[in-house]
Amino acid sequence: MLAFLKSDSPPGARRPGKQLRIAIAGNPNSGKTTVFNAITGSRQHVGNYPGVTVEKKTGFCRWGDHELEVVDLPGIYSLTPHSDEEVVARNVLFDEKPDAVIAVIDACSVERNLYLAIQLKELGVPLVLCFNMIDAARSRGYQFELDKLSRRLDAPVVATVGHKEFGISELLDATVNLATASDGRRSLQVNYGHEVEAAIGEVSATLQARDGQLTDVQRRWISLKLVERDEEIRRRIENPQVLEVADRNADRLARLYGEAPEIIIAEGRYNLISALYREAVRGPALERRTKTDRIDAVVTHRYLGIPLFLGLMYLIFQFTFTLGEPVMGWIEAGFGRLGLAVGSFWGVANSALKSLLVDGVIGGVGGVLVFLPNIALLFLAISLLESSGYMARAAFIMDRLMNKVGLHGKSFIPMLIGFGCSVPAIMATRTLDNRRDRLTTMFVIPLISCSARLPIYLLIIPAFFPQRWQAPMLWLVYLIGILLALASAKLLRKAVFKGETSAFLMELPPYKVPTMKAAVLQMWERARLFLKKAGTMILGMSILMWALSSFPRVQPDARSQQRDPSLAAAQQIEHSIAGRAGRLMGPVLAPMGFDWRIGTALIGAFVAKEVFVAQMGIVYSLGEADENSDTLRDKLRRDYTPLVAFCIMLFTLISSPCMATVAIMRRESNSWRWAMAQFWGLTGLAFVLTVLVYQVGSRLGLG
Amino acid sequence: MEIPDKLTASLEDYLKTIARITADKQAARAKDIAGRLNVNMSSVTGALRALADRGLVNYAPYEYVTLTEQGTEVAREVVRRHEGIRDFLVGVLALNEDVADKAACDMEHSISPDVLERIIRLADYIEICPRTGASWIKEFKEYCDNPAREDDCEQCLTVCLQDYRERKVHSDEDDATLDRLSPGTKAKVVLVSGDRATRRRMTEMGLTPGTLIEVERVAPLGDPMAVKVKGYHLSLRKSEARTVTVEHLK
Repeated sequence: MLAFLKSDSPPGARRPGKQLRIAIAGNPNSGKTTVFNAITGSRQHVGNYPGVTVEKKTGFCRWGDHELEVVDLPGIYSLTPHSDEEVVARNVLFDEKPDAVIAVIDACSVERNLYLAIQLKELGVPLVLCFNMIDAARSRGYQFELDKLSRRLDAPVVATVGHKEFGISELLDATVNLATASDGRRSLQVNYGHEVEAAIGEVSATLQARDGQLTDVQRRWISLKLVERDEEIRRRIENPQVLEVADRNADRLARLYGEAPEIIIAEGRYNLISALYREAVRGPALERRTKTDRIDAVVTHRYLGIPLFLGLMYLIFQFTFTLGEPVMGWIEAGFGRLGLAVGSFWGVANSALKSLLVDGVIGGVGGVLVFLPNIALLFLAISLLESSGYMARAAFIMDRLMNKVGLHGKSFIPMLIGFGCSVPAIMATRTLDNRRDRLTTMFVIPLISCSARLPIYLLIIPAFFPQRWQAPMLWLVYLIGILLALASAKLLRKAVFKGETSAFLMELPPYKVPTMKAAVLQMWERARLFLKKAGTMILGMSILMWALSSFPRVQPDARSQQRDPSLAAAQQIEHSIAGRAGRLMGPVLAPMGFDWRIGTALIGAFVAKEVFVAQMGIVYSLGEADENSDTLRDKLRRDYTPLVAFCIMLFTLISSPCMATVAIMRRESNSWRWAMAQFWGLTGLAFVLTVLVYQVGSRLGLG
Repeated sequence: MEIPDKLTASLEDYLKTIARITADKQAARAKDIAGRLNVNMSSVTGALRALADRGLVNYAPYEYVTLTEQGTEVAREVVRRHEGIRDFLVGVLALNEDVADKAACDMEHSISPDVLERIIRLADYIEICPRTGASWIKEFKEYCDNPAREDDCEQCLTVCLQDYRERKVHSDEDDATLDRLSPGTKAKVVLVSGDRATRRRMTEMGLTPGTLIEVERVAPLGDPMAVKVKGYHLSLRKSEARTVTVEHLK
């Protein structure tokens, strides 16, 4: 019982020179990640939206004789297991038992930040307090007596400025000293008043009778949690008598105070904090109107707020597309030349290897890589929004609307990230505390048009629509996605995930000037993920698709009868597996106006949306002998009407999310059922809507 | 903290001015102080020396001026007195803001803490007492502007009683809740109700009874709202704010 709290080795057993495990804990926006980066030098995602750091991150650093393994815990406000982040953080502290924990405190908001630190101290972990962004706090007129605070909390306190790496060596010294000290695990006892203390005492006595191995600190902590009715801890207690005593005491306290015990206890912590604060921190005589206040007065202004928000979103799209254009041209030209160069090594026209390299590999990957500039720029813009602090304002502005469809203001951020890629977007829904909110958001995210679908639009729109209609057309596609997402969310909340949305308690962090370096690094991290996907999965799929469209090969004697090489190739693709599958799907595709070629490419799009373009390229370059005489767009324009083009976009927008999305959905929802429901639900919706548009459109003569 | 010698009126004004300038900018320059107080530079220099001797400001010629810890404390007290008197002059004596501000500057230096305390309590009392209240002060202002008019005292008293009854029923029904406060108002948290999980979250985010909060703004679409609490900005929905009972602070 309670093995999770027992340390493997007695305190002080770790000798100098050994590897030390350090955990960094702190509130969201306390600059935890910048401190982590300053210590480990590793490049991490630095965001400003509460809860970006969902993943557990580890870095390494050498300090003196010690090798440090540093874990960056997710940003949390409390150790109550209220959200996934808090559970993760608590589990690391419980199960991995770090040698020291650094609590990062935003020096501009000491009281709320100390709440977590007090809880860590109560838990008895060897704690170092890191007063981060001390420069900003001092310039706002705060004065700190850190020595006094250190004595009162019985923990070293170090002032730092994470992004300037100020104070980091002092912090590491203090941390290593504490981790190697024999008396590092000192706890702090908050006095919760006579009645609560009596309750803790009784539970503790019962525990001791049952399990004599626990230390005093551990016993007090578990008793406190049991009085707080902490479900996680209750589950770990096997003895019914202990639970019975705890419940009786909790009920008594509730009757006595007319309030739940956990709230009395939370207030008790804040009482201690205000006393500490009054003693050791001095605020400015007059609260100055900060830059953040001034910016917020404009950005969240009653009339200006929404136009500014929409304008900003529009600017981001303009930025993404106009700036990406020339680079795309270079990449396209580069791959074209590479294909020609590689192709010229072969004299024989019909080598399968040549076809694989030029058409399968170079054509497939090149067709996807060409859109990297757009994707990188979009991610850059999102990074800038996050690290500036605007993301939280976006949630603040949008919550009313999101709440109307049963979503949470925080759902907006994952949905916005969904414009980049559904995979990180679905992962970002972890910031939502309520499982129903989270599942609803995850469900509708694939309807938000991700950047992988952009290549499809960028291929089709210029091919079928006149210059001045191109931008509005792109807007329309995105808008349809957004509206469908909102409508589906509303429907899901009404039909499947019934219940109240969770509390909207969100910090609006101070604005920061985003550093270009951090934003570019973050963009690189995300673009790298895309590249990795393109490099492995998409390459593999391109080759598979090439194989599907090249085999089985048409009999040589049949070929020799056909003099025209383009027709020979067309015959080949029709003969191939992909061509046959495309034809097999014919009856299903026909009501949407799609032919077997689109069907073949859609098979690719099920694997990853952007493969659609690569597949169309392969289908056409194999079907035509002279692949450089005409661009893909011209070929498309020749074969399809603008209505069919629109239907392609509509179908790829709505239909089944890509394989990576299905995989992440499975992981995040922890069930194949949800992942499959999403896959088939969206595909069904896409089919119904596309059939509707095509049939109505062609009746109206739009085809 | 040792108590500094009693400051002269003009030195108190200097302190107040420095506190105001540092609230706007990082630190005050002698030039800014001279500009605000409309005095010449040599007077400023003299005053700053006197304040520096008392350990209230950090000052060396040609450098920025900042308040010391003690100076901050004294400045805060001066500002508090100023605001107390000004509120009384505006709220009770119905004087206009400019006149009140100027008069408060003159009065704040000589007023004793006891008298100030009583003045503030009188202002509160007038607000609470059904025989007086806001309408009474309005009447008073009209009387000042036009002393010759006649009043129907009996009817007035009847109205007072009616108001009182209504107000009583009203206050029994619902206390002020956070969602009803408009931007710019300050309040003290009295109680957080609502369901247990939300209540706990709110407590953990610092909305504990006794905490001072200030409503900062309401989102463009009318919900949620942003509140300053414990030095940071918290946003919450009106439906959640409704569960927070507050005491409105003037």
